[in-house]
Amino acid sequence: MDLVLGMKDTHPQEVLKKRDIELKLRHLFSSWGFEEVETPTLEYYSTLQKVIGEELKDRLFQFINREGKLVCLRPDFTTSIARKYSSDLIGKNKAIRVFYDGKIFRYPSSPLRTESELTQMGLENIGDNSTSVDAEVIALAIISLQEAGIRDFAVDIGHVGFFRGILNASGFTSAFQQQLKTIVKAKDFIALKHFLEKNPPSEPKLVSLLLDFPFLRGKKEFLNDIHDRFPRNHQFTIALERIQRVWDILTDFGLEQNIWVNLGLIRDFDYYSGMIFEGFSAFSGSPLLAGGRYDELFGIFGQDRPACGFALFIERLVEVCEKSQPDITQSFKTYTIYYPPEYRKPVFILAQKLRKQLHAVIVQEQNNVSFSLKLSDGLNEYTWTNLNWDDIFKQIQEAIENG
Amino acid sequence: MDKLTLCIPTGRLKDETIVLLSKMPSWPLDFNLNSRKLIFEDPLLPWNIILSHPKDSSTYVEFGAADIGIVGKDILQERGNEVYELCDLQIGICQMVVAAPENLTAADLFGKDSLRIATKYPNITRRYLQEKGINADILYLYGSIELAPVIHLTDAIIDLVSTGKTLRDNKLKIIEKLFPVSARLVANRISIKTKMESIFTFVQQLKEVIGDV
Repeated sequence: MDLVLGMKDTHPQEVLKKRDIELKLRHLFSSWGFEEVETPTLEYYSTLQKVIGEELKDRLFQFINREGKLVCLRPDFTTSIARKYSSDLIGKNKAIRVFYDGKIFRYPSSPLRTESELTQMGLENIGDNSTSVDAEVIALAIISLQEAGIRDFAVDIGHVGFFRGILNASGFTSAFQQQLKTIVKAKDFIALKHFLEKNPPSEPKLVSLLLDFPFLRGKKEFLNDIHDRFPRNHQFTIALERIQRVWDILTDFGLEQNIWVNLGLIRDFDYYSGMIFEGFSAFSGSPLLAGGRYDELFGIFGQDRPACGFALFIERLVEVCEKSQPDITQSFKTYTIYYPPEYRKPVFILAQKLRKQLHAVIVQEQNNVSFSLKLSDGLNEYTWTNLNWDDIFKQIQEAIENG
Repeated sequence: MDKLTLCIPTGRLKDETIVLLSKMPSWPLDFNLNSRKLIFEDPLLPWNIILSHPKDSSTYVEFGAADIGIVGKDILQERGNEVYELCDLQIGICQMVVAAPENLTAADLFGKDSLRIATKYPNITRRYLQEKGINADILYLYGSIELAPVIHLTDAIIDLVSTGKTLRDNKLKIIEKLFPVSARLVANRISIKTKMESIFTFVQQLKEVIGDV
């Protein structure tokens, strides 16, 4: 039978690795006081259309439901969570800490690729716009990668205020600003150069700053080095101060070796309004996590609330773990017991005992076989045959205790 | 600094690319890539080099198999790869154009009741037709695109043109220029962070060779 284009089955071995990571992250998020929430797979197009960018609109799975309304498979969780908590009047002024784990659906950005379904796990801290929340969310992102078993990674921290400050200082009309934004988002620095030659911004130092955008990255000293290259305006000053304070908090947490300042960082989602960040490893060509502050998103749904969060791409985490530590294979021990019908009762009791000790046990009743026990851990198999019941029980316990 | 993996397309662009690379200060004297090998991991070389099909190099870079690569703008437009475009090598210069038989004007062509266009670039063609609001069938061919209108297979073509000689020889002319094409240096969006210093240096050295500073 054919698979739907862009969809794929996941084999037990890979599911095991995914669940292992998800379990660790679930423990982590819970231990920091976040509660798991579920949102529906489908949202109205009219809900999403208010917040997602033009590029992503073309990538939605959408269809008409029985009401005759246009509905979509969710392309992310943040929008759904903002929709939920901006219409929830209960706990209106309470701080909310939630996390989620599930599938998201997007057609690929190029017609030459197929992957359309991804597992995303992430969290949102709603109702607090303090710098300490920014830092805590980034700290959790870093610890998530550590918990997932990623060894060599970096988290780049930026701020939408840098690019917005540049746009404001450019003296461009809003149409030109939009063009500039599209070019920078497309990461086409040749088109950018041509654009700036044809349309010189009113502040001349913006030209070299914009052309250097991919390389505006460094440790904390970099913030001082870059200071004179940016135009002096309100947005820039606020962004710079915020990043400096976030950096200091993360230093107090002992996490400074994992973080970088990246002033050229730009996220695809338009709803980010403050600090933004991205985590990655040299073993994956795509980011492992992404997030930031999105204080304006709730306002679009009718109730202003500050919020900050991030999402991890679970399949990419599995891929990086496999590539960076290929020798570590997880195996799950399964014990199989073959027995003749007259042993049904004691075998059932034995199997239940073993299962309670968290061993996986398969029992198989077979006529015309002598009572036998097969132990299998995926690699080795041990078989005992023609033993009496007491011996068998002893042997099993010993075998399991000896691993 | 980290050693970069560089993807170079085989074919027309390869020799011109190597001429540029060999002018860079880090290139070893008397080194040549003329064997049939597709991967060069030589301690003499400042980078690991992968040779790919011209249409694949930006995909290698997008997925991180190479940190940086050389690719034609036509391929980037067609495939929509998510990569950083850092530098115009100013080689492999040509134009993406709509061309049709010499006796037709643009008005003649676009005024036709049913239009069929042959191309190696179905995505570029579809976007162009959408933007212009033109109804046309796209016929996806692998090569000798100029032949299609001559044998009345299609009314026009969308293809690359450099000198225009092939067009003239087949009695075709340019109806509209879509965009200029040249070879570009692209970088993977993660490598540009993890190996920023190496990529930055590479771009600076390359720009000096090209004279684009």
